[in-house]
Amino acid sequence: MAMSKQRRREALWFYLFVSPWVIGFLAFLLGPMISSIYLSMTDWDSFTPPKWVGLDNYVKLLTEDPVFWKALGNTLHYAAISVPLGLLVGLWLANLLNKQVRARKLFRTLIYLPTLVPLVAASMAFRVVLAPSGPLNDALGWAGISGPQWLLDPSWVKYALILLSVWSAGSATVLLLAAMKGIPRELYEAAEIDGAGPVRQFWSITVPQLTPVIFFNLVMGLIAAFQVFSQVYILTPKASQPGTYNASQTTVPYLFDQAFSYYHMGYASAISWLLFAVILVFTLLAFRTTRRWVFYETEVK
Amino acid sequence: MTLDRAQFSRRGFLGLGVAAGVITLTACGSGAGSDDDPLVMTVWGGETDRATYQKRIDLLVKKYPDLKVKLQLIPSDSYPQKVQTMIAGGKGPDIMQVAENVNVYSSKNQLMPLDDLAKGAGLDLSKRFGPIGSLYSYEDKVYAIPDRSGAMIVYYNKTLFDSKGIKAPTAEWTWDDALDAFKELTAKGKTWGYGGAGWWPQWWSFAYQNGGAIIDADGRPTADSDEVVEALQWAGDLVFKHGVVPTKAQYADMGTDVGGDQAFANGTVAVNATGFWAIAGLTDTKFEWDIAPMWRGEKQAVASFGSGLAISRTAKNPKNAFKAIDFLTSPEAQQQIIATGQDVPANLEVQQSDAFLKPAWMKTPVNMGVFAESSEFLFKAPFIPEWNEMLAAIDTATADFWLGKERSAKTALTALQKNLESIIKSAG
Repeated sequence: MAMSKQRRREALWFYLFVSPWVIGFLAFLLGPMISSIYLSMTDWDSFTPPKWVGLDNYVKLLTEDPVFWKALGNTLHYAAISVPLGLLVGLWLANLLNKQVRARKLFRTLIYLPTLVPLVAASMAFRVVLAPSGPLNDALGWAGISGPQWLLDPSWVKYALILLSVWSAGSATVLLLAAMKGIPRELYEAAEIDGAGPVRQFWSITVPQLTPVIFFNLVMGLIAAFQVFSQVYILTPKASQPGTYNASQTTVPYLFDQAFSYYHMGYASAISWLLFAVILVFTLLAFRTTRRWVFYETEVK
Repeated sequence: MTLDRAQFSRRGFLGLGVAAGVITLTACGSGAGSDDDPLVMTVWGGETDRATYQKRIDLLVKKYPDLKVKLQLIPSDSYPQKVQTMIAGGKGPDIMQVAENVNVYSSKNQLMPLDDLAKGAGLDLSKRFGPIGSLYSYEDKVYAIPDRSGAMIVYYNKTLFDSKGIKAPTAEWTWDDALDAFKELTAKGKTWGYGGAGWWPQWWSFAYQNGGAIIDADGRPTADSDEVVEALQWAGDLVFKHGVVPTKAQYADMGTDVGGDQAFANGTVAVNATGFWAIAGLTDTKFEWDIAPMWRGEKQAVASFGSGLAISRTAKNPKNAFKAIDFLTSPEAQQQIIATGQDVPANLEVQQSDAFLKPAWMKTPVNMGVFAESSEFLFKAPFIPEWNEMLAAIDTATADFWLGKERSAKTALTALQKNLESIIKSAG
């Protein structure tokens, strides 16, 4: 009897503590989500009452809208390069920081610093860095490479965005570094006794031990890459760089234009649900592969 | 594992709900209104704009103590979105500033037609504002009263013109005269004759000078007509054939967001066509400058910039709102627009007054009569409800052209015409 009373109290506390989230979720997420499903099946300019059009928006998006496909293609292109690249850079930096070098606390701070710079500010700075005769191209010039017009040339602008995405590899680095520090020393000692060199140790101990964190970064990175917005919006402003704006148009900026520039709120809602489906598919795919490469210690025991 | 999965998909939802969330959030934004509430007036701009509008409102309240007006200044970038969400939430402004996108609202039944209110107040629009009195009309009804309105004008570097022995530009310059002057004024890699015509008011002016139009009088797109093609080709050739206008890459090297306005102020380009606002950036130049009316083609035509004041459907007291607009566009209130150096007042009487022709804050003599002179040949740009989409289509279709990747204006405009035909549903 006493037990059950305590349980009830515990349950009460649980609901009390979880309620801000539940209320927030219902009011600000579930409500808008349900209404956006409805809106995605209407023709709505946000002023006059929505007109029901069934699946017309989806059909139009998938069959008649070249810009949507272009934007989706750009988004995939961006995600396909920036996510693995961000992970590799993060892994590399974390590994360097894990070494017993002098002033590594300073390096750690320096590497994480870019992540603290607001994305908008970083994007503004990158517009100067990536100017046709800007610092980056000057540096390339010293190496004898004539740099491209990063932000003006439609075929290079995606790589400029990818470059900017690596700028914030610091957050992945910090997570990976923390995980590296958590790897038991005995594993390395045992490996050393078995005669494994540093490279072998890295691939056979460090990486497998890190896979859960790598996986976490992969999934979060995928979602963030699919929803990329601010960088595109600031690096290639529609007004002054229309040419590259189209070349770098990704899904969320396109959604924003449709909703807030062209007043096609229903159509924009449909885009958001299609994007949701795409992200869901890729996330599920990533989960599907975990059995093959992600190593959880608890599963061994 | 299963827990993780749920969490990750929820993340996906989280970001995606945002667009819809914005609407819901703003809907709960403001409280209920009553008759005693002040009229809410939304405008865009910066601090000069705020000060100028507020001064005019102060004059209004002094004259009509029963009227209360609350000014709401919104940064230009987010103005349309903010007003859109205010209206969608049922709390639209009473008086709102509108410009080229006026018919986004009027076509969706969000603005009040003002003809009857104007008649009731005894306001003759063509007398007060000239031909632009009916600029903000849709299907033969007026939806906004002109408030600020100035022609695009030609800024020229007097020092450079004098040193080359070139006479000041006039309204009678032909395209050839202009090109000859630009060539003279260009010093390779150092200065350029002209700032360029990549922005729509700039190259559209040439199209209309050439007898063309982007959208014809019946609302059909005519962007690929010979007249428009020839005009755009001329504007593009200035960059890539004659080299008298900086390319995009050359502009990008001058600094972030440097365009014709800044390059003119730096003395890098000798001629620049833009609006009144550039005067503010030219008070401390190392060279002498002045303004002139736009040159001509087959005929005279030039774009105008401006904005009007409209009354939204949700206005609690349209009569009071109109009374306010009537006063705000009267000579007394409009004088403030030039007194603070904000813009060109739309009221013709003020444009011709000494207060406008010799503003107290102007350090050097500037030929302000150019605005009145230009007002005779302003072309009326097609303010269609699909205005934003039209501009986006133009940007897309002409992007490669302005980069020099596609040298034929015909090709660019043929693509544009096709896009416009699919965007403008009312066509045909």
